[in-house]
Amino acid sequence: MAQTDTTNASAAVDDKGKMTLFKDDRAEDIGAIILTVVLVAIILFLAR
Amino acid sequence: MTDNSPGFIRQLPSAVPGLALIVATLVVIRFWIEPWMAQTVLFGIKGWFVQVLHLNYILLGIICGLLYRNVLFGGKIPDVLTNGFRLSRLMIKTGIIMLGSLYTIQAIVKLGSMAIFLIGGFVIMTVVMVLWLGQLFKLDRSMTGVMANALSICGVSAAVATAPAVEAKASHVAYAIATILGFGVLTLFISPFIGHALGFNDLQYGAWIGTGILNSGQVLAAALAFNPNVAPGTAVSVAEIWNIMRVISIPFAVFAVTVWYWAGKLEEADKSQHKGLGTLLVEKFPVFVLGFVAMVILTSLGVFGDVGLKDGPPASAVIKMLRVWMTWIFGFGLVGLGGYIDFKEIAQAGGAPLKLGLIVGATKYVLALLVVILFRDYLVAI
Repeated sequence: MAQTDTTNASAAVDDKGKMTLFKDDRAEDIGAIILTVVLVAIILFLAR
Repeated sequence: MTDNSPGFIRQLPSAVPGLALIVATLVVIRFWIEPWMAQTVLFGIKGWFVQVLHLNYILLGIICGLLYRNVLFGGKIPDVLTNGFRLSRLMIKTGIIMLGSLYTIQAIVKLGSMAIFLIGGFVIMTVVMVLWLGQLFKLDRSMTGVMANALSICGVSAAVATAPAVEAKASHVAYAIATILGFGVLTLFISPFIGHALGFNDLQYGAWIGTGILNSGQVLAAALAFNPNVAPGTAVSVAEIWNIMRVISIPFAVFAVTVWYWAGKLEEADKSQHKGLGTLLVEKFPVFVLGFVAMVILTSLGVFGDVGLKDGPPASAVIKMLRVWMTWIFGFGLVGLGGYIDFKEIAQAGGAPLKLGLIVGATKYVLALLVVILFRDYLVAI
């Protein structure tokens, strides 16, 4: 029971008030890095 | 645990309506409301909303998000807009990575070494206080474990990271998050007033809120509310270093609380949740910090040109554009963040967890203020 509760804890919170479109924090972090690379590339192109 | 939700790319089209609302909100705020506030005379003072209330696009954005959820939409963001609001944390993380362009390695070392002592001390103090109060209030051990890290580090992420390690239920995590967000909203709005009233400069204010405010998003918002400028030495540049030092300590804090939790278990229950520090470091380290470090390195190497430090050459066109874009990205992220503050949920999280959260939150907030006041002359500017 505790295992199920524990396993479901994060998932349940994520489903109820999911604060991201990504599957987890790690994926969101990588998404943020990719988005930054894209934005910085655009800025470097526009500003030079 | 299987994640059955569609991938990010497939969900992106459904985020367009919510994102459009967020973007439109910030555009109206920045191009119409802010200029109007700056010109409006109230009680004989021109720009009263700015000079006296210290309102800026950051606070207005959060207030709009709050109003959307709690007033306009009756307590719940409509499904058609939800996925757009779910992009807010992505934007905030992206903004923080880009914030690396404000620093050189030397500045990081200077600020970081100050931050490590303050943050280290406060994280340890907060964890110990929560574990002790949890026993005093006879809180469930899992609840106490989650609250210990949520209150000592950065709220939501720390609570979610700790939950599996201490067998926490969904309700435990939800209570912790609601308490953090509820108290954090209060500190977010009052901190700029207190900072200005005490005559804090950006460094002192950034160090205070970076230590004393519970949630990362609210630290960012409170910093920008004090000084909306994004440049080296501004409140946001100081507060974010403090924030990053806190976030980096997540794996260590999860390990420490896990050890405490399992040390108190009477039976040798399932040990599969008891992970070693190495495993936790790999699993829980916030990877976006690496992006921030990469930006600092690129900035130090001069890839983006001059950063515009005091008494140095002016900032390059690339750096100026980076800073402008950052203010917009943070603005989008914080409108979205406002949409996640649900007054009803906060009110429902009553009882012992709320009492514990308020006591610890208030202690941390006031103690951090006192420490900064006592050591204000020793806080070295970058």
